[in-house]
Amino acid sequence: MIWEVFRQEQSGEYHTHCGNVHAPDRDMALMFAQIQHARRKPTHSLWVAPAEEISEVDESEASFGGTTNKAYRWATSYNIEPVAEEVADSENEQAEAERARGEN
Amino acid sequence: MNGSRSIRSGVQDNDRTMDLDTVKQRARPREFSPKDDMPEEYRKAATRMIQFHANSEIMGAYLERPFIREAPSLERKLAYSAKVQDELGHGQLLYRAAESLGIKSRDQMLDELANGEGKFLNCFHYPMDSWVEVPMIAFFVDGAAMRRQATLRRSSWEPYAHAMDKVCFEEGFHIKHGESILAELASGSQKEQEMVQDAFEEWWPRIIQFFGPTDDDSTHHDFAAEVGLKQMTNDGLRQAFLNSYVPKAKEYGLEIPDTPTIEHDEELNTYEIAEDELDWDEFFTIAKNDLDSGKEQINARKQAQDAVAWVREGLDEDETATGGHAPQAAD
Repeated sequence: MIWEVFRQEQSGEYHTHCGNVHAPDRDMALMFAQIQHARRKPTHSLWVAPAEEISEVDESEASFGGTTNKAYRWATSYNIEPVAEEVADSENEQAEAERARGEN
Repeated sequence: MNGSRSIRSGVQDNDRTMDLDTVKQRARPREFSPKDDMPEEYRKAATRMIQFHANSEIMGAYLERPFIREAPSLERKLAYSAKVQDELGHGQLLYRAAESLGIKSRDQMLDELANGEGKFLNCFHYPMDSWVEVPMIAFFVDGAAMRRQATLRRSSWEPYAHAMDKVCFEEGFHIKHGESILAELASGSQKEQEMVQDAFEEWWPRIIQFFGPTDDDSTHHDFAAEVGLKQMTNDGLRQAFLNSYVPKAKEYGLEIPDTPTIEHDEELNTYEIAEDELDWDEFFTIAKNDLDSGKEQINARKQAQDAVAWVREGLDEDETATGGHAPQAAD
């Protein structure tokens, strides 16, 4: 039986999918996940879930967003100095996301 | 290894409920989540706070919506309708964060908003009549809200903090877009500049009141702060807001109204506000949902909800027909 594994590095962060393990039951899956995915990497918590419980929809079936030009949606499009620290933080996160999408 | 453990929703289990002292002692950013058995006091206080926040997102969006068609250019229209859509999404995210406390369901909270029981931000109880008022909301009110939301990313209720991650990610665009509209109007014709100044004078006291009465008069702050739901006092937030936004208003040629009196201590860079010059009777009338214009906003939203009931019913039927596997609307 295949179990998908999700690892959280620090308390409060998101659990991120990091691979899977083969195990006969939940407890064994948790143990194998620790050995395989948390032995060499800083880990705060692990989740395991039976692979068949994971549902997927992909680009062949759905039309996801993020492909049309929506420059007006980004703080970086407005030629204005951020008024406050939290606005600058938000703009930096958006610029980071823009880079991650390969747009910049 | 402590064996398998499933993630539970906020179901009360008296034997294992965390006591209040433990909650206060452990209160740290993102410390508590639906897998913890939180005491009822915590869950009620968090529900009250998040429901208020969610209601405000929805009511703000309804207030702004009619002005999408007033936008002076196609770019503004695209950006402004995207912004209004975002605010409705924030409302839905927040209802989910509140629902995870196990006190009220999302439907219940939406019903309360429709029947006039649900409370929301003071600024959204006032009518908006003209496009020049748009930056009053989209720059100043949203700016005040974002100051507060940035601190709520450190709330002790993890689903709330997670919702704030997405909200703050999007708000940077909202604020800069709002400021861009203000910049355009403030450098426009004489007439436009006068209209912006008039709108600013009308909205300024409400914006100051956004952060509520001084800390001494705030009923819910102490507990919310003790259990880490809230990370900063009203007064601290207002100071931070004024520090950034007063110089900005002046930069765009806006004159700060005489009422309430504001003393600026240049050495400490703090602002002292004569709060007793503000209309607190009106503020507390609003807090009871009793201001006429606020009632109109609540009823207008209810009518809009009723008018599109057939769409929701259609979706429900579709979901029933497919055994509950119909695609869910995206946030």
